[in-house]
Amino acid sequence: MAETQTLDARVAALGGAGAAPRRSLWRRIEPAAWGAGSFVVLLLVWQFVPYFVPLKPGTRLFFTVPSRVAATLWQMIVSGSLWAPLGVSATAFATGLAIAIVVGLPLGILIGRSSLLNAMFDPFITAFNATPRLVFLPLLMLWLGIGLWSKVAIVFIGALFPLLINTYEGVRAADKLLINVVRSFGANEWDIARLVVVPNALPFIVVGLRLAIGRAVLGVVVSEFFGSQEGLGVVMVRAASGFQVDVVFAGLIVFAGLSLLMTGLVKLLEDRMTRWRPGHVNAQ
Amino acid sequence: MAGYIEGRNVSLTFRPPNRAPVRALGGFDIAVEEGEFLSIVGPSGCGKSTFLNVVLGLTKLDSGEVLMHGKPIGGPGSDRAMVFQEFGLLPWRTVQHNIELGLELKKVPAEKRRATAERLVVLVGLAGFEQHYPHELSGGMKQRVGLARALATDPDVLLMDEPFAALDAQTRDLMQAELLRIWREARKTVLFVTHQIDEAIYLSDRVVVMSKRPGRAKKIFAIGLPRPREYEMRVTPQFNDLKLEIWNTLKDEIVA
Repeated sequence: MAETQTLDARVAALGGAGAAPRRSLWRRIEPAAWGAGSFVVLLLVWQFVPYFVPLKPGTRLFFTVPSRVAATLWQMIVSGSLWAPLGVSATAFATGLAIAIVVGLPLGILIGRSSLLNAMFDPFITAFNATPRLVFLPLLMLWLGIGLWSKVAIVFIGALFPLLINTYEGVRAADKLLINVVRSFGANEWDIARLVVVPNALPFIVVGLRLAIGRAVLGVVVSEFFGSQEGLGVVMVRAASGFQVDVVFAGLIVFAGLSLLMTGLVKLLEDRMTRWRPGHVNAQ
Repeated sequence: MAGYIEGRNVSLTFRPPNRAPVRALGGFDIAVEEGEFLSIVGPSGCGKSTFLNVVLGLTKLDSGEVLMHGKPIGGPGSDRAMVFQEFGLLPWRTVQHNIELGLELKKVPAEKRRATAERLVVLVGLAGFEQHYPHELSGGMKQRVGLARALATDPDVLLMDEPFAALDAQTRDLMQAELLRIWREARKTVLFVTHQIDEAIYLSDRVVVMSKRPGRAKKIFAIGLPRPREYEMRVTPQFNDLKLEIWNTLKDEIVA
């Protein structure tokens, strides 16, 4: 009650001017509201399917409704059974992605700046990029076992190429005039990279990072589906073979949430780094 | 008489891959005096911008030599700075940090850099725009930043490669007057490349007309107009006679 009064008082304090900002606020959130609305409608329809469509007992085994998924996910959170497998998956994801960034960015810059290195690496990059990286999974499991490191490796090779290739493209797109400008002030190769090439390539790198996150999550999920003893993917596979559809959906939601969170962080990073731009520019 | 900047028999041929080589300069001679404002006019592709890049130290010549203070130019140096036609500002840097670029590369401490930038922002008439990004500025303002950046390292020679070509006519007139004011204060030797005969006469002590490619110095005109130059001088008979004379020298070289 007290809170309501404060809010009312604040609205009153805004006075007549309050109406205009409120309308512009609605205009800003309108697309998001429609998106959320249609999502809620979808969930409701799904929730009430069993009331309208008679399901055979056999089919019911593979079916669930949103409320049961939510309850199961909540149960997994409070009982703690979510955290250990999620920790295993997140470690593989973060380690693989971090190595891909540490290797991919400098390598992309180097091969973008040096025609010699470009000529040396190009056949490998083209061949690797044309191959679905998941075909390496059996080999990696053989070499690295079914623990953390085969997962890290598959995440790494999945995330590396979008980062490497986008960084390379961004470096190649560097403005020759700006390079000449800094060179005329006595810049060496390192200065050129630092002052022109990297800032210019940032939008490309961010696109690469977004793609890399998607590939990294895919790498974790698939390697846990096919050969692993721990992790959220393993929990999902085991639940599926035990017909626990709720748990499978709960795992799916967690993976989707993880992807969305990471992509959101990248977007935030992008906004911070590209404040100098006239508008938002899409690199690809 | 030995000049402050001296080009002797400068020749240069571009050899782009898979294309016929292009002889840009073929025995170009020039002597620029200290403190002089010298303009180069010539037909498109005659190598006048190329010569500026040689003096700047970004382009190597094939034969002949370019000397400054009697010493051959081996590469970029802080005694020379260029103002570029397309401005060449780093879009992710503010006005202040663009001006500081050359000082930063010379490892000048931040405190001193800022003081220099503050002084130059006032000199070029951009006070209050220090924290603006290039995309928030008009063309004329961008070139003021380009000029301030070139002056920041306190070079002896200012190289200007059609600096006002990307500006509209009125802004260009204004910037010419501004350049003369700044030149009076900063006292630099200026080597100025332009397509505009008016601009060359109005600004310069001497105007060099170049031949078509491969470029050579065809004729040098001494501009006897008194300084400080006034806008009204552009409509005097003396100005128009010079303009006609330079045009007559230049027109045979222009291949349309």
